[in-house]
Amino acid sequence: MQSDSAAVAGPLGIVPEGGEVTSRTGGRNLALDEFLHSKRAIGGCAVVLLLVLFCFVGPLIYRTNQTAVNLNLANLPPGNGHPLGTDEYGIDVLGRLMVGGQSSLELGFAVAIASTVIGALYGAISGMVGGVVDAFLMRIVDTLLAVPTFILLLIVASMFSLNLATIILLLTLLSWPYVCRLVRAQVLALRSREFVQASTAMGSTRTRILFRHMVPNTFNIFIVTATFAVADSIYALSALSFLGLGPPPPFADWGTMLTNGVNDLFDSYPWEVYPALIVLVITVLAFRQIGDALNDIASSRSSVR
Amino acid sequence: MRRTHRLAAAAAALALTTLVAACAAGGGGTVGGGSVVKGQKIKGGTVTIAEVGASPNDIFPLLPATNSNGYNGTFTFGMWPWLVYSGDGAKSVPNPQESLYSSLKYSDGDKVITIVLKPWKWSDGVPITSRDFTFVYNMLKVEYNDWFDYVSGLFPVDVAKVETPNTHTVVLDLTRSYNPEFYTDNVLATIPLLPQHAWDKTSASGKVGNYDETKAGAKAVWNFLQGQGTKMGTFATNPLWKVVDGPWRLAAFQSSGYYAWVPNKNYSGPDKPVLNKVIWTPFTTDTSEMNTLRSGTSLDVASVPLNDIRQLPALKAEGYSVAQVPAPGVAEILPNFYAPVAGLLLRQLYIRQAMEYLINRKQIVQKAFAGYADPGNGPVPVLYGQQWDSPLEKAGGPYQYAPGKAIALLKAHGWKVVPGGTDTCVKPGTAPDECGAGITAGEPLTFQLLFASGTESFNEQNAAIQSSESLGGIKITLKSEPFNTLVSTTGTCNAQSHPASICNDWQIQQYGYNSYLMDPSGAGQFNTDANGNYGGYSTPEMDNLINATEYGSSDSAFFAYEDYAAKQLPLLWLPNESTVFVYKKNLAGVTPLNPFSGLYNPEVWYYTKSAS
Amino acid sequence: MTWYLVRRIGQSVAVIIGVMVLTFILVHLEPGSTARAVLGLKATPARVAIFNDTYGLNRPLPVQFWLYCTHVLHGNFGVSYAAGQPVSTLIAQRLPRDAVLIGISTVLALIIGIPVGLYQAIHHGTVRDDIVAGTWFTLYSAPDFMEALLLIAVFSVHFHVLQPSFTGGITSVGGLFADPNALILPVLVLSINSVAGFSQYMRSSAIEELGQEYIRTARAKGMAERLILTRHLLRNAVLPIITILGLSLPNIVAGAVIAEAIFNFPGMGLLFWQSALAHDFPVMLGATLIIGVATVAGNLAADIAYGVLDPRIRHAV
Repeated sequence: MQSDSAAVAGPLGIVPEGGEVTSRTGGRNLALDEFLHSKRAIGGCAVVLLLVLFCFVGPLIYRTNQTAVNLNLANLPPGNGHPLGTDEYGIDVLGRLMVGGQSSLELGFAVAIASTVIGALYGAISGMVGGVVDAFLMRIVDTLLAVPTFILLLIVASMFSLNLATIILLLTLLSWPYVCRLVRAQVLALRSREFVQASTAMGSTRTRILFRHMVPNTFNIFIVTATFAVADSIYALSALSFLGLGPPPPFADWGTMLTNGVNDLFDSYPWEVYPALIVLVITVLAFRQIGDALNDIASSRSSVR
Repeated sequence: MRRTHRLAAAAAALALTTLVAACAAGGGGTVGGGSVVKGQKIKGGTVTIAEVGASPNDIFPLLPATNSNGYNGTFTFGMWPWLVYSGDGAKSVPNPQESLYSSLKYSDGDKVITIVLKPWKWSDGVPITSRDFTFVYNMLKVEYNDWFDYVSGLFPVDVAKVETPNTHTVVLDLTRSYNPEFYTDNVLATIPLLPQHAWDKTSASGKVGNYDETKAGAKAVWNFLQGQGTKMGTFATNPLWKVVDGPWRLAAFQSSGYYAWVPNKNYSGPDKPVLNKVIWTPFTTDTSEMNTLRSGTSLDVASVPLNDIRQLPALKAEGYSVAQVPAPGVAEILPNFYAPVAGLLLRQLYIRQAMEYLINRKQIVQKAFAGYADPGNGPVPVLYGQQWDSPLEKAGGPYQYAPGKAIALLKAHGWKVVPGGTDTCVKPGTAPDECGAGITAGEPLTFQLLFASGTESFNEQNAAIQSSESLGGIKITLKSEPFNTLVSTTGTCNAQSHPASICNDWQIQQYGYNSYLMDPSGAGQFNTDANGNYGGYSTPEMDNLINATEYGSSDSAFFAYEDYAAKQLPLLWLPNESTVFVYKKNLAGVTPLNPFSGLYNPEVWYYTKSAS
Repeated sequence: MTWYLVRRIGQSVAVIIGVMVLTFILVHLEPGSTARAVLGLKATPARVAIFNDTYGLNRPLPVQFWLYCTHVLHGNFGVSYAAGQPVSTLIAQRLPRDAVLIGISTVLALIIGIPVGLYQAIHHGTVRDDIVAGTWFTLYSAPDFMEALLLIAVFSVHFHVLQPSFTGGITSVGGLFADPNALILPVLVLSINSVAGFSQYMRSSAIEELGQEYIRTARAKGMAERLILTRHLLRNAVLPIITILGLSLPNIVAGAVIAEAIFNFPGMGLLFWQSALAHDFPVMLGATLIIGVATVAGNLAADIAYGVLDPRIRHAV
């Protein structure tokens, strides 16, 4: 058996085909314990928590008008009641970072959760049912994986006006196959294991097996992929905005803020570029640290058998 | 990066669709070399011109109806100029020196035009004759529906008869009278002459004949030339395209849009090229163009997207001069008079007036367009203050920014005005102090503004409009769509099309600007049946005033039309951005730019030995 | 092996058909009229009719799809709405350029990524591992358009040493090398993004191998550490990278769209993006299909190579 199961989803979101993940051998508490002992995981979580506070609680303390456009106040340098200056619409940049962060984080979490749930169920069912149905279902997944997500996203974005909800929907539709592949591989591996065969023998229904055995046993995979999905979706939206296909104003997210300021990269108004870039990188980095730490835990556990 | 690409696309598409390509390059006229010349003139040299989003794909000057690529005009015009050369420097008048005619006479109540051609020659030494005109006419007469520049009812359909009394005279007998200025500026200035002695054939290996004289033959020639015109791989080598009458001929072409011109040694016109070569190099995005300009490479002339205006000081430091040219066109918010509910509101002149009063155009020019825009006082651009601008427009137009006036207007018509909120109609009815026909009590004053996405200055402009309209309680919601999608979902909405589902989905929209030829006529835009009248504006008075400018001969007709349109607001006027570009300091003759013939006239450019 | 091969090829064909169906459906989601999108606002009904007739857009969708499929089978990808050129011509010009660009960047990424991953594995769990990982992850976490622009800001705008774009008429693949200076930045940007992925795979793979019996045996036998690393560890740990190569193709292609737009690189990515903006469906379909085929072929090749190199895999699928 190939044993590089460790590398669940790498930073590229790559899923090794035919990779097989070995079941957990201990209780979930052990995983939690390991997680709590991982400095990277704890650090990442702390940063994410701070970012959530900054974006969702920040605006309650630091109050700014994020809706009224006033071109006379556009592009003011930091200072004078605007700690990070104003942007090209005359809106306070610090306040915009908070509001924009709400969109970015909502996007990341929503896509991560939705795509993980869909992918996990699809993969589990496909793996459980097996046979022709499985083969057909997996070709659909392969199809979605054969064309880069970003390319499919561009096709749709070039034709439709997008908003946060539709972007979440789209990214979810395009991201779940990654999760699905992994979960299915895990299910296939589990199906042949004693405890599943035992419960089948004892007359458990497929649904019961799915939820009692399969889902808990694949939990670590989709936690890992979810953390990567958060980072990837925030990133995808920023790339989309950069190509001019993001949502219109007054929508703000870190990616849009970044691309609006890009023309001022070389001179002029650095405060319209770098703050957004820094929070974006920190966020993506934090989620990837968490994912990577989890990945390491999964990896060390599967190799010790 | 994104933004200007879209805008360029928008401009290009619109330019061509209005009447004809606004983009074309060619001779610069006698007033061409306007920039201050320092130092000595150098013979020869190569100029590299950078354009964003420009990639021509058809070399046959009579573009097929399915090709809306505005850059084909720029591409072919330097090789096959039009009968009437548009623009003298930046002035919207024909340039007789550069034109192919030596005289144009209107007679018989402006129904007959006698065109006398100059004794100029094709690049292969064969004289340009009236036969070259009839060659074009014969093809178009059969295939006008497949000709992109065809405007319903005009040339060649309005021609009853063409006679050629001798080799350099053409007599056009029209089916009706036209205003000569209109016909010369907007019709004759869209027709090139083509070399019958080289192109009148139906296959590459076939012999040249008089095939165009029969209907079937003209069709065959047309199809052959159209087919050859799309073969990008042979643009620079096909013998057909080597016969030119403009100052340039094609030396190289890549499908990416890169091409090179070298001088036509036998060019008969007054401005013989001084440069050895002109290279056009396309950039997909303004970001890559700006990066290249900033990195000190060999680009000599380049358009600068408005989003990058702030980099102008740095470009000056790199050795460039800056110039700008106003776009001949009108930018607007387009109201849909046939939208459900919103259309009833928009039909009320006082509501359109209130909306226009609440657009701070001066601020938009300064902030969203960095000062490089026409103020948009009415239907005619005033930035280059020419013969077409009425005193009213020059003075700022009828509706300058005044929230107080907007509020007063709304109150006077039975609205409860809630600044920052949404106004509601409290006095329904059709009396002068009531809301107007079809508007019910409690009706909110709100519109969705649909606009083309991806252009930063549009985003800023529309966000600012949303903000300032709310001062009068007019609530605007913004929705943007990719330009091509916006176009694909916008139908022409008028009494004939109604009810059409395509007219239900948009209320007001902003996508760019409608371009003008030399004569900024309202024909085709505001008259009832106009192809470009997408919103369905219609009043008999407007139709009469426009007809007077198109068919009449009164000198005052144009101002009468212009002021009426300015006040009537068939469109809500907006600022229209100018084109800004940079050129190497030691390059002379570049300004003034000619926006009617594609901005650039490299035949009058030359390098100087200067110490700059 | 033969049966496995046949099955994998069958699967690949199914996926390619899937890609054709998917992209065809996607482009026909166009909310308005394609003809109007291409021809502009003032397109008259007559012109719209000519356009629809020319490109067969007035036929029912299933018929259009059937024609599309049969044409593709004959190597005919249709004619571009915007360029009026056969799509196959446009793609044939650009594909080799991408092969060069992506090829060079991938090789470079492997040259950097494999040693980096190995280094991290050897120092697994130490600060050095963390520092190296942190560096690559930070680079990877910044959007690649920002990396590209920052590199341009430094090397092109400030120091004037590297070209920020491709200009001039590139006629052939060789033309790319006529101006090698312009290739440096795009290759660098594309590599940076792959290195993080490759090195992390290499790291996990090497950590696994380090725990294996044969390494312990070799060490016990007193084999030089250097030899252990090169002869045993490297050879075995590199195996998974082969799979990754095939699978990472879609991501590299996606990265290429943005890099090509920034660097004005006349490749497939740029072609695709321009056609998407112009609603030039034949080009979009053709480009996506080529990308899909390349990915599927890459996966297939990786699987076969893996199967040849590691017989265990055949039973695992």
